[in-house]
Amino acid sequence: MATRTPDIGSDDSASADADTRLIDAALVCIARWGVTKTTLDDVARQAGCSRATVYRAFPGGKDALFLAVAASEIERLARAVGRAVYDAADLEHAVVAAITTTARALDDHDAFRYLMAHEPGVILSHLAFAELDALLVVAAARTGPSFARFLGSNVEAQRLAEWATRIVISHTCSPSSGVHLADDASVRRLVRAFVLPGLLVAT
Amino acid sequence: MPAPPSSRERLLEAAYACVARDGLAKTSMEDVAAEAKLSRATVYRQFPQGRDQLVREVIAWESGRFFERLARAVAHHVELPELLEEALVFAHRAVAEHAVLQKILETEPERLLPVLTTESGRLLALVKQFLVLAMTRTEVRAGLDADAAADYLARMVLSHVGAPGRWDLTDPVQVRELVRTQFLGGILPR
Repeated sequence: MATRTPDIGSDDSASADADTRLIDAALVCIARWGVTKTTLDDVARQAGCSRATVYRAFPGGKDALFLAVAASEIERLARAVGRAVYDAADLEHAVVAAITTTARALDDHDAFRYLMAHEPGVILSHLAFAELDALLVVAAARTGPSFARFLGSNVEAQRLAEWATRIVISHTCSPSSGVHLADDASVRRLVRAFVLPGLLVAT
Repeated sequence: MPAPPSSRERLLEAAYACVARDGLAKTSMEDVAAEAKLSRATVYRQFPQGRDQLVREVIAWESGRFFERLARAVAHHVELPELLEEALVFAHRAVAEHAVLQKILETEPERLLPVLTTESGRLLALVKQFLVLAMTRTEVRAGLDADAAADYLARMVLSHVGAPGRWDLTDPVQVRELVRTQFLGGILPR
């Protein structure tokens, strides 16, 4: 996350609003030109502010802004997954909803789609080895608790969250002809065949 | 006597030696030609798209060799659970001890990881093929879709080998639990 120099004269919520505006502007730019070609000037113009404002919010410049964009999008996705799991009636629906919600959010995400098509390295380099481990920790910590009410154990819930995340990432990096993660019926088949039986053995 | 390596094989071996010594960014078509004692023209004939293609193929080649070593290491297990347990332990250790991989992960991850991830489809097919065969030797759940099961298992293996997450793959008790629950819960007979 970006560190901010104290912003005299504006309160925290005002600067949080400014951050959100810049992050949204950066997403529009990435969806249009990708990460490499987007400059801080582009983001400032898109957000309707000055370059100095961008630097005040993100003293680390473009790298810091884009890290904040990634963190913000992961957080947004985790909230959507949390809501979908919260609304689910039982464990099967919860796992299916977590996976399909994530897959659809990625399908509908213009910036993500642009990067996967034109600059896949930007995304893919975060989906292996230590970077993937770090992402799994965040995913398990953020979405694990929503599974806990179905499992009665926080450890099991975090394991399940990590497991579902692995399934989504694997199919995102290497799509399969037989599984479609945005499709309820396809995910239900996968979850019934391989995930639920594994949970039953564990509990 | 084994057949002498083809010039393609010689070039990939030479390219791997160059990458191990100099890294991905500094390895040039000329270096690889010199290392293989072949002409530059031969390198360009084998890799007409140039350096990027050569780098991509050498990464795929070594990843393929990695999984061949893994397949050999676990081939003596008839039962799927033991086979997968040993595969995870072996692969986890082999990744940690792979000096070239670790060096590049440290110094040039941005060049390696996108290629590894885009090549993961090929690796997945390799592991899947191996698992389809392994599943014919073990008792599985009645009515199991073997192809879907092998696809699922191959993804789980690759995912954990690259990033163990919350599982300690040096601990046989945890490896056993992971394999019996998340890997094989839906695959072994009830």
